[in-house]
Amino acid sequence: MVLNLDGTKPIYIQISEWLENEILNGNFESEQKIYSQYQLADIFTINPATAAKGLNLLADEQILYKRRGLGMFVAPDAKDMILAKRKNQTLKRLVEELVLEAWRLKVSKQELIEMIHSINTGEAGE
Amino acid sequence: MTVIECKEVTKILGGTKALDHFSCRIEGDKITGLIGRNGAGKTTLLKLIAGYWRETAGSIEVFSERPFNNLLVSANVIFIQNEMDFPTALNLKELLEVMAGFYQNWDRALAERLFEYFSFSPLQHYKGLSKGMKSTFNMIVGLSARAPLTIFDEPTTGMDAAVREDFYRALLKEYLAHPRSIILSSHHLDEIEDLLEDILLIKQGQELLHLPMSDVKEWAVALEGKVSLVHEWIQNREVLYTKSTGFHQSAAVRNDFTEAELQQLRLEGVRISPVKASDLCIYLTRDSEGGIDDVFNKG
Repeated sequence: MVLNLDGTKPIYIQISEWLENEILNGNFESEQKIYSQYQLADIFTINPATAAKGLNLLADEQILYKRRGLGMFVAPDAKDMILAKRKNQTLKRLVEELVLEAWRLKVSKQELIEMIHSINTGEAGE
Repeated sequence: MTVIECKEVTKILGGTKALDHFSCRIEGDKITGLIGRNGAGKTTLLKLIAGYWRETAGSIEVFSERPFNNLLVSANVIFIQNEMDFPTALNLKELLEVMAGFYQNWDRALAERLFEYFSFSPLQHYKGLSKGMKSTFNMIVGLSARAPLTIFDEPTTGMDAAVREDFYRALLKEYLAHPRSIILSSHHLDEIEDLLEDILLIKQGQELLHLPMSDVKEWAVALEGKVSLVHEWIQNREVLYTKSTGFHQSAAVRNDFTEAELQQLRLEGVRISPVKASDLCIYLTRDSEGGIDDVFNKG
């Protein structure tokens, strides 16, 4: 529950990612009320406006939704949305970097794919 | 709601302009960080806001009134600085009593709990405290006063790292429980940046930047890569900092790149990274692009 405070990633983005992880690992279920900006500010010793920005980021993406006067709640399909987002954005960027690095090192695509195959993730049927 | 409004404020001290046509507007119930180099005019500004000094020219309003010699302003503002002018005849406990009488919202219970937590003894005198303990006592006064405008000028001077952590945490807890306008001036932006909502950067008596903290990190980007490549990309842009090491050059520039340009940069093998808020402030407030290296590179 420690934020990366080296200053390279805006805190509100780290807050939204942390909340996403809390939803992914089941600490918050669909339709459950999530932490308020004040609770987040207290947990991480950050300004509540920064915490609100992290919450609003997720509300804009409809992973959270607002109930007037009650706070923010986890959307019914929040988990799927987070997984889809991570796949389409985070994973895609990592793959992009991987392919670029391979290209710089003159590793062919075929070789790269073999390297991917050689990493055992413990997935059934491998 | 606007709490502080400065319009073209000038303050002349010893023949030099400590503030030079300084303008800014600070909104209520925010924690604002006042950042600048030594001699930039931070303390001068704070003393004008608190009504300790009179402006030479321009206008300054705190709670819509001119702060100098103003009872409303002094009852609603607490100004904490390194050497507080406490009456020397009183011991620490008596000092807290006096403050409690002056500040309407004073929280006795909080003052007592903090006093005990930091192991002060009632009979001690302020003059006899070490630098760090003085700052700690000042902090107790500053937080317990619950003044609608609370100003801390370099509050952590002399405090050890553990007490500084405690102070930041106490400040935030107090703010969450009782929101008020807080101005915090500090040399340790790294330590306070997460507490801040806004940052006000001043240089040579003028406002340089006044932004929400979350925008500061996106205000500039650092590029790193082959000299020729980086050089080409930073042409016609606002360059804040450059450093070259042989074949490589790193540069911090104003972040006005489009997403497509950033993509292009990555493809060409230029490393892109955010610029830390504290680094940005250093780049913006120094007088030459190369910094101290310029001193050694000349002649």
